Amino acid sequence: MNGHDDAWLDSVAVLALGALPENEARDLRTHMLDCEICRNEYAELRVAADALALAAEATPQELGGAQCARLKARVMDAVQADRGPAAAPSDSRVVPMRSRETARVWLPYAAIAASLIIAIFTGYSAYTTHAENDANRQQIALLQARVDAQERAAENARAELALNQSRLADLIAPGSTQFAVQNGVVVRSGDRVLIALRRLPTLPKGKVYQAWTLRRGAKAVTPSVTFVPDATGLALVELPGSAATFAAVAVSVEPEGGSKAPTSKPNFVRPLS
Amino acid sequence: MDDASLLMGRVRERDAAAFEAVYDAFYRLVYGIAVRMLGDTMAAEDLTQAVFLKVWSSPGAFAGGNFGAWIARVTRNRALDVLRSRSSRAEGEIPADVPADGELDEAVFAQLDGQRVRSALAHLPDEQRLPIELGFFGGITHEEIAKRTATPLGTVKTRIRAGLKKLRFELEGSLA
Repeated sequence: MNGHDDAWLDSVAVLALGALPENEARDLRTHMLDCEICRNEYAELRVAADALALAAEATPQELGGAQCARLKARVMDAVQADRGPAAAPSDSRVVPMRSRETARVWLPYAAIAASLIIAIFTGYSAYTTHAENDANRQQIALLQARVDAQERAAENARAELALNQSRLADLIAPGSTQFAVQNGVVVRSGDRVLIALRRLPTLPKGKVYQAWTLRRGAKAVTPSVTFVPDATGLALVELPGSAATFAAVAVSVEPEGGSKAPTSKPNFVRPLS
Repeated sequence: MDDASLLMGRVRERDAAAFEAVYDAFYRLVYGIAVRMLGDTMAAEDLTQAVFLKVWSSPGAFAGGNFGAWIARVTRNRALDVLRSRSSRAEGEIPADVPADGELDEAVFAQLDGQRVRSALAHLPDEQRLPIELGFFGGITHEEIAKRTATPLGTVKTRIRAGLKKLRFELEGSLA
């Protein structure tokens, strides 16, 4: 590919999105080495394509408190298991003392050496001050990150409260459809699906309830959220995803952390029709 | 240098507290991308763990720039790997990873957040938003997008380009 043709700009956009087949992508990248117009187009569109990832950032309703805590514990446990020993300090080198004769030969250079030492020391001081500043900035960043995390936690708690109020409103919304199940109800309200259960039996240690969804046309269920009822046996959970894509919903008791496929007889399986 | 980049300096020194701070700042982004692409909460948790273990075990893989942009690319590439392993398609038909090159205007990315991008996306007409979302989160090629949406291939490409341009315009507008 030599020279520029505007027809390639559409392919550049697909490349920026990451949806161009590898063979076409290879050819286009080769062309872009010599084509400034396509390179500029790619750089411009890549910002928009990369920003798409931010749209997926999970909201508190998509990643609730219990799941957050479990996921974090899982990651931190794995890190702890992988944590190696701290780097050992490097060995100091033993420099043999010189003889008096050798020292006498070097005596005329003593003044120059002293000057050099002072200069090096000054430089070293500046370096260590810089290093200390870096360490302080890192410490401040760490503290700031902790404050930010606490603010986010408080914000998430407020959002979760608001979310539960919105879920309660959905439960009794005039346009919602309710499907009775053991211990409660599955509610489809607009594009949301909620499960409201009460008087749930206390779970054995190490077990959680897990929701499952059967997508339209699918033969196997997909794992959805895990949840633990409150002290009164009450649970109000929203299933991630679009209600229009669900053919049925189920709940079973699973090991903590959830399962990829049900390992126990479901408490209920409810077709949403 | 942003806070996350400073923290990564400490992660390189095996500072678990700094790693935890990085995790707290970015787990929603990583999990969100994973669940959106894989459509499965369990697989998304597995992928989130794998990404952060990579951050911990190979912090040198982050060579600078905007950390959020970097970890988003790592997550998407890992999710594409999972989708590939689930797929029976031939290797050549599968979209290439977005390379972690230095051409991205990361200063723009650093000022963005999920709400701004969702809002900007919502301003796109469906005919542009759908192929963009399928390509980015579905991990499928433009040819598959054309098949799924019953749209001519050339039209799909043109709409993707028009949509990305409009998205960039909207994002810049939201920062102005």
